[in-house]
Amino acid sequence: MKPAVTSGVLERNRSRWGWAFTAPGLVFFSIFSFYPILNAIWTSFFNKRLLSLRPPKFVGFQNYARVLGSEDFWNSVRATAAFTAGVFVPLFTLSLLLAVFIASRKRFRRLFQMALYSPAVLSSVVAALIWLLLLDPRGLANQFVNLVARTPGVDRRWLSDGTMVQVSTMMVYVWKYVGYFTILFITGIGKIPESVYEAAVIDGAGPVQRFFRITMPLLRPTTVLVSVMILIQCLKTFSTQYLFTQAGAPVGPVNVITLNIYNTAMRDLNLGRASVMSTLLFLFMLGLTWVQLRFSRRDEVEL
Amino acid sequence: MRARVGVSRVAEAAGGAAALAFLAAACLLVLVPLAFMAGASFMPALDIMKMPYRWIPETWKPANYLRALAGNDGNWMYLRNILNSLVVSSSIAVSTVFLSSLVGYGLAKFRFKGNQVVFLLIMATMMIPFETVMIPLYMIIVKLGLQDSYAGLIVPFLMNAFGVFLMRQYLITFPGEILDAARIDGCSEPRIFREIVFRNAGPAAATLAVLSFRQQWDNLLWPLLVAQREEMKTIPAYIVKFAAEKHADEGAMMAVAVIASLPVFALFFGLSKYFLGGSAVYSAGKE
Repeated sequence: MKPAVTSGVLERNRSRWGWAFTAPGLVFFSIFSFYPILNAIWTSFFNKRLLSLRPPKFVGFQNYARVLGSEDFWNSVRATAAFTAGVFVPLFTLSLLLAVFIASRKRFRRLFQMALYSPAVLSSVVAALIWLLLLDPRGLANQFVNLVARTPGVDRRWLSDGTMVQVSTMMVYVWKYVGYFTILFITGIGKIPESVYEAAVIDGAGPVQRFFRITMPLLRPTTVLVSVMILIQCLKTFSTQYLFTQAGAPVGPVNVITLNIYNTAMRDLNLGRASVMSTLLFLFMLGLTWVQLRFSRRDEVEL
Repeated sequence: MRARVGVSRVAEAAGGAAALAFLAAACLLVLVPLAFMAGASFMPALDIMKMPYRWIPETWKPANYLRALAGNDGNWMYLRNILNSLVVSSSIAVSTVFLSSLVGYGLAKFRFKGNQVVFLLIMATMMIPFETVMIPLYMIIVKLGLQDSYAGLIVPFLMNAFGVFLMRQYLITFPGEILDAARIDGCSEPRIFREIVFRNAGPAAATLAVLSFRQQWDNLLWPLLVAQREEMKTIPAYIVKFAAEKHADEGAMMAVAVIASLPVFALFFGLSKYFLGGSAVYSAGKE
């Protein structure tokens, strides 16, 4: 009888300590994550302005109607979608290809990884700054392209032409993150048992066959993870576009959703509308995460 | 049969060489902008935009660095902003490691009612994009009167869900016998955490510290909102301002960039294992 009582006390004691250790987390996330997200959703129904002394007025779905009816918002959706698509394809393909090549090397793996990863270490702002100079009309990008295409003296208008400025932001992004995703892929490839490849080699499978028949199917969990991570990161892109437009590039073509939220809140001081866009972005990301969870669940069952 | 094997061997060797060439070219291309930054930081502005570009400066101009630190108006604000970045990023790295291990330990080693719910709630915050909550967060900071203060820059990032997740996964494998032995010896729970658990959190804690530091070093959006006064800006905000100013010297701009990158590159070369491993930990965890 007695031991049971003591163990019950111990148990209660332990559970109390469990709460004590996790309490700082609960408090922190309540204040800095849950309250703000609820507040953003709440604000999206009010006519609220930054720095205004008038009490915010409840306007129902009016902000949503305004935002969804404005060309500016749809332009941001277009800009974000174009950026995401334009980054996703080259970034995914390149990092997968590079990872496969690096994984098949016996030596200098680490050197390759470090070289490719090094731009990811830089601040996005520094990255954008370097490219601002490279893409200058007199800069290296024009010189390089003209050298390869044998068209001396042509200005590609990297930062002034509407289409080119989008291409430029995509280029900066792919350059910066290709190493990061290469390493994710290398880790994924490393988890595929060597014996599977050895068996395939004995059966006479060539490198191309091994890639499509073994690497790709067994890499699926990593592929899903990388895809979702690229998507989420692209939706949140901000620094490059911000710095390029600050330096004089046209805003319209690269007015991605986060840049629009920032400008709507801080320049136009319209918190209600900024919150609408924030809420929509959040819902979209929630959807993406759900898709990812669905996919990774299915993988678990399969494996 | 033998001929086919021979052919495929030759083809494979050729493919290997092509792959190596591709790899080398990719690495070179990736490194070009970095080499450009380093070279241009020592050049007079005119040489940076000269027609056949010279990678190695013809005329060296180390004065770029002086200009970078002194600023266009000579008020040496960059030094202050570098200090701010160091203070903010290191404080966040330290607090993230400490608080994440605390909460991660609680979730990993104590079975209590609601344990799972708390864990899931914290994980759910990973889905909230910062852009969505930045305005309400800003309002909180305004209400607390913390604009233009270190506290305002630091407090919203004291810990994060990824850190909690990382530390929980790491500590879950920590042998419970050691903890029980310490309890029997009369060691108090806070002391067990401090002396035994935290001391042994090594690799995971180092990874988390490095990643948090780098992330904050890069943070532009939040300091743009919170730090309106020049003295409270961090490096990214300073760079944006410096680059947007009229008559900004290109050489000095690259010097600013080099200075901003030195600390993270030092971290990267010194602790590359945690950088490269960090993303691996992330992928392992997410799966």
